[in-house]
Amino acid sequence: MAPAAPGGGWDQTARVMQQVLLSTGLAASVQVTNAPGAAGTIGLARFVNADAGNGNALLVTGLVMVSGIASNATPVTLVDVTPIARLAGEFEVIVVPAGSPYRSLADLIAAFKSDPRGVAWGGGSSGGTDEILVRLLADATGVPRNGVNYVAYSGGGQALAAVLGAHVTAAVSGLGEFAAQLESGELRALAISAPTRIATPGTPPDHGIDRPAGDIGSSIPTFREQGIDVVLMNWRGVVAPPGISIRERQALESLIERMSSSQAWKDALVRNGWTDLGLAGEPFARFIADETRRVAPLVTARDTSSRDWFELAVLTGLALSVATAIRQRVSQRRSTAPRPVTPPMNVVALLLTGAGMTVEAVLLRPAGFVLASAAMFTVTARAFGSRTLLRDAVVGILLAAAVVVAFTRGLGLSLPAGPFG
Amino acid sequence: MNTFEALADGFHVALTPGHMGWSFVGVLLGTAVGVLPGIGPALTVSLLLPVTFSLEPTAAFIMFAGIYYGAMYGGSTTSILLNTPGESATIVTAIEGHQMAKAGRGGAALATAAIGSFVAGSLATLGLAFLAPPLAKVSLALGPAEYFALILIAFATVTSVLGTSRVRGMVSLMLGLTMGLVGLDPRGGQARLTFGIPYLFDGLDPVIVAVGLFAVGETFFLASRAGHASDEMVPLRGSLWMTRAEWARSWKPWLRGAALGFPLGALPAGGSELPTFLSYGLERRLARYPQEFGRGAIEGVAGPEAANNAAAAGTLVPLLTLGLPTSATAAILLAAFQQYGLRPGPLLFSQAPELVWGVIASLFIGNALLLVLNLPLAGLWIRVLTVPRPLLYGAILVLASVGAYAVHASLLDLVLLGAMGLIGFALRVGDFPVAPVIIGLLLGPMAEQQFVRAVAVASDSFMQAFARPVSATLLAGAVLLMVWPLLTAGMGRMAKRSPAVRRQAE
Repeated sequence: MAPAAPGGGWDQTARVMQQVLLSTGLAASVQVTNAPGAAGTIGLARFVNADAGNGNALLVTGLVMVSGIASNATPVTLVDVTPIARLAGEFEVIVVPAGSPYRSLADLIAAFKSDPRGVAWGGGSSGGTDEILVRLLADATGVPRNGVNYVAYSGGGQALAAVLGAHVTAAVSGLGEFAAQLESGELRALAISAPTRIATPGTPPDHGIDRPAGDIGSSIPTFREQGIDVVLMNWRGVVAPPGISIRERQALESLIERMSSSQAWKDALVRNGWTDLGLAGEPFARFIADETRRVAPLVTARDTSSRDWFELAVLTGLALSVATAIRQRVSQRRSTAPRPVTPPMNVVALLLTGAGMTVEAVLLRPAGFVLASAAMFTVTARAFGSRTLLRDAVVGILLAAAVVVAFTRGLGLSLPAGPFG
Repeated sequence: MNTFEALADGFHVALTPGHMGWSFVGVLLGTAVGVLPGIGPALTVSLLLPVTFSLEPTAAFIMFAGIYYGAMYGGSTTSILLNTPGESATIVTAIEGHQMAKAGRGGAALATAAIGSFVAGSLATLGLAFLAPPLAKVSLALGPAEYFALILIAFATVTSVLGTSRVRGMVSLMLGLTMGLVGLDPRGGQARLTFGIPYLFDGLDPVIVAVGLFAVGETFFLASRAGHASDEMVPLRGSLWMTRAEWARSWKPWLRGAALGFPLGALPAGGSELPTFLSYGLERRLARYPQEFGRGAIEGVAGPEAANNAAAAGTLVPLLTLGLPTSATAAILLAAFQQYGLRPGPLLFSQAPELVWGVIASLFIGNALLLVLNLPLAGLWIRVLTVPRPLLYGAILVLASVGAYAVHASLLDLVLLGAMGLIGFALRVGDFPVAPVIIGLLLGPMAEQQFVRAVAVASDSFMQAFARPVSATLLAGAVLLMVWPLLTAGMGRMAKRSPAVRRQAE
């Protein structure tokens, strides 16, 4: 299960694993299901509740979920699952535009210390790895936590645009996001969050394309080299449901170990620009605990004191406009002007249609998509005056079956199969 | 090497039978998947990404370009015929397009969307070939303050044409803004209107809301009137193709849509929704028959469809020249480039000229193939409308629910769909316009986010944020656009304040 929408980092991890497990013959069938939302915590909750004791299920997780659990204060946490292995991830770099007055990390930190709000940090969405790095940096350099001016952008691209246009002082993201601009010299990297210098990941044997000599990654100094003890990786790993047997756990661990030592996995790491961060079993469990201890205070101590004027304004606007509309309606009612004649409402048909949708939602999981949809289809057709119940049911089943084939076979998105699964 | 020679070389690469074949396959697959409910271009491209793994890079990207354009167009088809937009950029298309389909002009709506996409896509691709590097430079200079002002302009152009009653339009808009509040505030701290339900933390998915309000709401509404045959769907009235008058009303919106869509698509935070709204508002203002808007005005399809296709080409400007993915689809394309060890960015044009120009040339070809494929198909598509009403609306509900459910596999998405259907129904019964709800939901959070960023970037100083020349000018324009109708209305009211006129106006 990938606790994110198709296309995101966790989904990619799940789909790459699926590809590798199938191509190496380590597993006969692998299915990816998506359960996105709230930094992966929705997927986590569903995984813990629905898959408890299932020795054949894995959930992709990572640093962002650790942070999401802390900032949303969710009841279900990573303590409730069985850690299997950390797999891969990316290290973070801090960059400034080429024309920036800050030549080194020391320059930037000096400015940060003297006027914290004056340094605008651009990065990905709030509570993500990028913000965590900036907050760790603030802690390490003695800047108060609520003094940090972090500007959240959706997606790496927009933060990159902001730093290229010098709208923010510095930007934070994975090395891969900035590699092209660092190579061309439009951005300058001040530090990388790795323990030691690393080569740029994801530079495979080229397709006859000239590359500038020298690797950009290994020329970036680490924070530690520059006297600041900060190491952070945007790691991703997999966990199993709670309540599985020791044997099942060992089977999963050895499966993942064999997968990550395969050539196909190593190729996939290079292709996606991921750094191998393999760590299995008990050490991984300790690692999750350490990360939780480190990250939780950073994301829960955010400044939430200021007034939410926007919410207030919108709700006031809604109340005012509704009030005006009601007043207008009342004054119209009083006036003697002729009102348009509305036809009587067909309440039965309306209720039938509503019932159709309710049936779909209630039956979807237990009876499967085909039956639930065919039921909704038949009821709706009845509401619209159809009298051929049997024909409608057959058409509904055919339509739903066609949809299922298109979505599951063609696109690899799963729909509940029900008794036919 | 100048641009012409490079482009000629690009065509040389793209016009080989093999590459043409991949382009065709891409367009076909993209259209087929894009037509599926709930599946927008970004998802189509990411789901079809593995198909291209086995190809060499140039062929892969040529196929990709085809998939992208095909998916963009496929989404418009469902918006027009079934009122179920597959992504936020085609929501506007559904407003007028579906009304046209119900009035028997579905063929013309599909045609104006296809030809408009072709015209605007080709113009935008020309822009990409000739203007990309300078445009990319300029676009970087725009910061959050300017984006905020741009979004305000979009608000102003659209809200000034809200419908028959300003008060009812305002209620709808405010309802949309309130829905936009749901989720975490953009400073990342507080949960708003989430009632402790984690599902609501990420906000409401605008596509599900739109499908619920439009398609499900209409199904409820028609069900409530079943038996009173007053709102019959007419599959076809007059010619299948566009009439001379429809051509005459379409070509200017195409060009204006392209002119809006391409530069806005090229902006790092422009996106493709903003130009569709701006285009819709603009066409409604300029239209010779503004009273047709809301009942199926062809300008309201031609303009936004041209705009979203031009914006799609526009997003390739920052992607190819700066390595900036500015939309979900572009982010997936970037990932695809990286799979081949390519880093889009300032060096790509010099590192892999053959590939870049091949891709640009294939955009032209993909566009043309799309037209060739879809004009004949339009005749087939509108047959959908000849399906008997009971079966058609049953099918619309099935397709709307699979679209809402399949992507996130969440039952709550189905609940949201049904709830929005009820709200859409209530709005319709009370004669409130539905479109402003979507405008508020999409643009409200965007505006707030850019505002918060603008103030943060300027170290919490409001004046410093908005006293920049560009943002100040744009802001002044937005304020003027908003105040102008109120002023003229106010003056008009003062001039003739007789009860008879007032009753007429209401």
